[in-house]
Amino acid sequence: MSPRIRVALLALAGLILLPCAATVIAGLPPFGATIAQYGERINAITPEARHVANMVSAINFDLRGLDTLGEEFMLLAAITGTVVLLRGRRGEGNTEHAMRRPGRAVIPRSEAVVLACRIAGPLTALFGLYVVVHATVTPGGGFQGGVILASATLLIYLGEGYAGWRDAIHSHWLDAMEGGGALLFALCGLAPMLTGAAFMQNVLPLGTFRDLFSGGLMLVENLGVALAVTGGFTQLFLEFMEETRAADEPDEPGEESA
Amino acid sequence: MTVILPLLFLLTAISGTAVVLVRDPVRQVFAIAVNGLVLAILFDALQAPDVALSELTVGAAAVPLLFLVALMAVRTQPPEEKP
Repeated sequence: MSPRIRVALLALAGLILLPCAATVIAGLPPFGATIAQYGERINAITPEARHVANMVSAINFDLRGLDTLGEEFMLLAAITGTVVLLRGRRGEGNTEHAMRRPGRAVIPRSEAVVLACRIAGPLTALFGLYVVVHATVTPGGGFQGGVILASATLLIYLGEGYAGWRDAIHSHWLDAMEGGGALLFALCGLAPMLTGAAFMQNVLPLGTFRDLFSGGLMLVENLGVALAVTGGFTQLFLEFMEETRAADEPDEPGEESA
Repeated sequence: MTVILPLLFLLTAISGTAVVLVRDPVRQVFAIAVNGLVLAILFDALQAPDVALSELTVGAAAVPLLFLVALMAVRTQPPEEKP
């Protein structure tokens, strides 16, 4: 395709699409307008109906819980794809030493970095746990807390080096956490059906409003999401990090002999 | 609040443009991280703390890290041996 045709195509697309976009943008409520009707309705209903203070969690795990289940398995599929692609080439073995960029100095880790990571790591993990368990009370939830927990494990890598990180993290546990979390979420949908309720109906006692134990089934679903996200993201980091390790044996032994 | 929001919009525009204009991949990764941080602050200022937390963890920490590791892996590959 020559550049001239491309520009012509762009102009044609702009001619058709820009008026449509302009109409939609003109139809938007003004910036800083009052909360839309759906939001008002949620704010009015949720505290009494679900005893939950964080409306976002109420929507994610209860009112539109089915969507979150779909997202959960989307994440599972994405991580599985990454693992299949990256581990497939490398195999299961762990190698000890990192690749070195030729001609680049190796700077030893300073004690300040180690100390900072040893202090910040547990605190970050604690904060992640806090965000996870307070999903129905304060902003955050299983996803955000899970990613914070996964980043906390990276501070081990920063402070203790690759070997320490691999000692602390076991790939099989991560697999189990990720799959188990997704399974837990799916079971949360199926279990109420055993009692004759609808899929993912909130059958557990709802607890007290603004208390840690509020929201009933949402807490279990939230735990499932937290497990899956923590395991999934840590697995993702692990697989990417493994790519920078020097392989024990070359991929194709025949080519390296020269 | 009247000063903070326009300031944050300006920062968002600047950091977003920087991501495009910076050409060195490693610096671009840090530009993305800064853009994610600015976006997280903006979301928080617009009273969306849940989204801000997600953006902070994914946009400012996880994604730049994966990019950095990928770049590192590409650069440390041994060069092709000439026969």
